[in-house]
Amino acid sequence: MNNTPLVQLENVSRIYQQGKVQVAAVTEFSLDVQAGEFSVLCGPSGSGKTTILNLIGALDEPSLGRVRLEGRDLAELGRSDLARLRRDRIGFVFQSYNLNPVLTACENAEFVLALQNIPKAQRRQRVMAVLAEVGMAELAQRRPDELSGGQQQRVAIARAIVSHPAIVLADEPTANVDSATADAILDLMVRLNQEQGITFLFSTHDQRVMDRARRLIHLRDGRLEHDEVRG
Amino acid sequence: MQLTTMAWRTLMRNKRRSVITAFSVAFGVLLSVTFTASSDYAYTNMINTSAVMGLGHLSVEHPDYQDTPTLDKRLLDAEAVQQRALQTPGVTAAQVRIMGQAMFASGAKSVGGAFIAIDPGQETPAHNIFLRTLVEGQCFSADEEHGVVVGAKMAEKLNLRLGKKLIFTMTDKDGELVSELGRVSGIFKTGDDSVDGAVVLFPLALARKGLGYEPNAASLVAIFLSDHRAAKTIKGKLAGLWAQRPDIGVLTWQESQPDLAGLIAVDRLFNYLLQFLVGLVIAAGIMNTLLMSVMERQWEFGIMMALGMMPGQVVRLVLLESCWLGLLGLALGVIITTPWFLYMARIGIDFSGQIGKDYSAGGVLVDPVMKFRLYRESAMCIAAAVFSLTMVAGIFPAFKAGRTTPVENLKQG
Ligand SMILES: Nc1ncnc2c1ncn2[C@@H]1O[C@H](COP(=O)(O)OP(=O)(O)OP(=O)(O)O)[C@@H](O)[C@H]1O
Ligand SMILES: [Mg+2]
Repeated sequence: MNNTPLVQLENVSRIYQQGKVQVAAVTEFSLDVQAGEFSVLCGPSGSGKTTILNLIGALDEPSLGRVRLEGRDLAELGRSDLARLRRDRIGFVFQSYNLNPVLTACENAEFVLALQNIPKAQRRQRVMAVLAEVGMAELAQRRPDELSGGQQQRVAIARAIVSHPAIVLADEPTANVDSATADAILDLMVRLNQEQGITFLFSTHDQRVMDRARRLIHLRDGRLEHDEVRG
Repeated sequence: MQLTTMAWRTLMRNKRRSVITAFSVAFGVLLSVTFTASSDYAYTNMINTSAVMGLGHLSVEHPDYQDTPTLDKRLLDAEAVQQRALQTPGVTAAQVRIMGQAMFASGAKSVGGAFIAIDPGQETPAHNIFLRTLVEGQCFSADEEHGVVVGAKMAEKLNLRLGKKLIFTMTDKDGELVSELGRVSGIFKTGDDSVDGAVVLFPLALARKGLGYEPNAASLVAIFLSDHRAAKTIKGKLAGLWAQRPDIGVLTWQESQPDLAGLIAVDRLFNYLLQFLVGLVIAAGIMNTLLMSVMERQWEFGIMMALGMMPGQVVRLVLLESCWLGLLGLALGVIITTPWFLYMARIGIDFSGQIGKDYSAGGVLVDPVMKFRLYRESAMCIAAAVFSLTMVAGIFPAFKAGRTTPVENLKQG
């Protein structure tokens, strides 16, 4: 068993050029995430949560510093290698409008598996199992516009975990749902983490979400303010 | 999930927009068929009419006859040429003829004109417009040695009636002036005054005797084809037969009637240009629709690419959408064009009220009824052109979609 962290950010800065002004979204930020963690990036709006998730998720590149995923330096990978890395190693859950409107819940959930060219029968089997896991088996044939926001998020979670990624990145996954639904979604993620050992890293500024995390990474103005690990 | 299915569903998501766009493609098909089928019909008509005015779809003649049609240039074994031609597949008829210039006189008046000497035993109205348009009398029979058929306009100018005498003077094969006497057995009226005032038919035997021709000699063998489009191919076959004969040449109707061929070529070019412009306008509309739809879906492309879809796959997806749009447009096009085409192919529109019954262009009578006829290759050409234009219209939107960067589009607020 090697103990290389799953995610390593080394002195990462991300500076946006906005006209003539430079905006530092993240400044000299370092972070290690170990496999099996259930961690939350928290901080006020504009503190850099989304930027960090995008950097880890190979959707964005740092201006300075290094991002490693499973020991691999992302800067060394080309555009299509990065696409493959996202497809095979990372699960994404976004804040809202996660699902493709022309695909059913089932088809949305199997989208990544289809990109991986997994045969249809096998795909269906895996997806139906995971949809059952997230409580969406009954509604598998519905299109996103026939599902509630919480149901859509469950399908997005199913899609994120069905390909067995190394880490699931979720950017404020509960921001657009009511609190009961948010609790249910959190229960689901906690359970998936505990039962299947799936690594979760998500961002939030919702206090109730923070209460459920085992590690809280506090951000302020793009810098690490406090890294809090709880029993 | 197949990209093809996804592309179709995306198109059906905004049904109204897609159907309207598909209808513009369908309208393009309708226009294109209208332009092409009316000219395919008109060209076929003009070519066939011109063929029955003397030279056929192909003419076999002395190689120098075309440039200097003097009467010393002749085929010595016209009947043998005729027989060989008739054995060639695609040839429906072959007529031995002598054609040349002559002065025609009756009483005190005379006019210059052209004669076509024919074999009355073989010529039929099907391949001879003058016999088809007889208004008085009939064609001379095989044993009427001196029978002539004249045009109505010439009959009027020379005061000819059936049974009247006509004297014609021409230069024989040695360049000597010779005169022959004919007696009017029929009068034709094609409707084209320049033809009706100048053309005279008389028997081949009389021409041979007067010109001092050998018994099997003639200026040409006019060959008729079941389909004028085969002219070049059949010319090739026939020319091959007589490759060793420097005294025999084969001309297609395009070569023997360059004016008509030029007129058709220019008309066709203009037609294509017009269709191309219409096509461009429609393609711009399609591109606009696809571009709009791509712009609206930036977020979706961002998500799909974040999940690991390759830019190439996104490009393919949008190209498939434009492919579906093209197919839908073609299908609608066939549906709306078929009844129109069938009506026009069977009944047509009669323009004789507008342009008169006797309208001619390029020296050829034009049928005043507009009808449709669509060659198989024209139909395939239209389908291919419409489809390719749709695909071409999809290229820019597709690349636009493929260039989406996931992070830019996943920024919320
Ligand atoms: N594309 C961009 N161009 C310029 N500045 C940007 C861009 N994206 C983010 N920023 C800036 O970077 C900073 C961090 O943004 P980020 O989206 O990471 O914050 P966040 O913590 O996710 O905020 P929120 O809670 O509102 O989602 C902000 O000040 C923001 O204005
Ligand atoms: Mg954010």
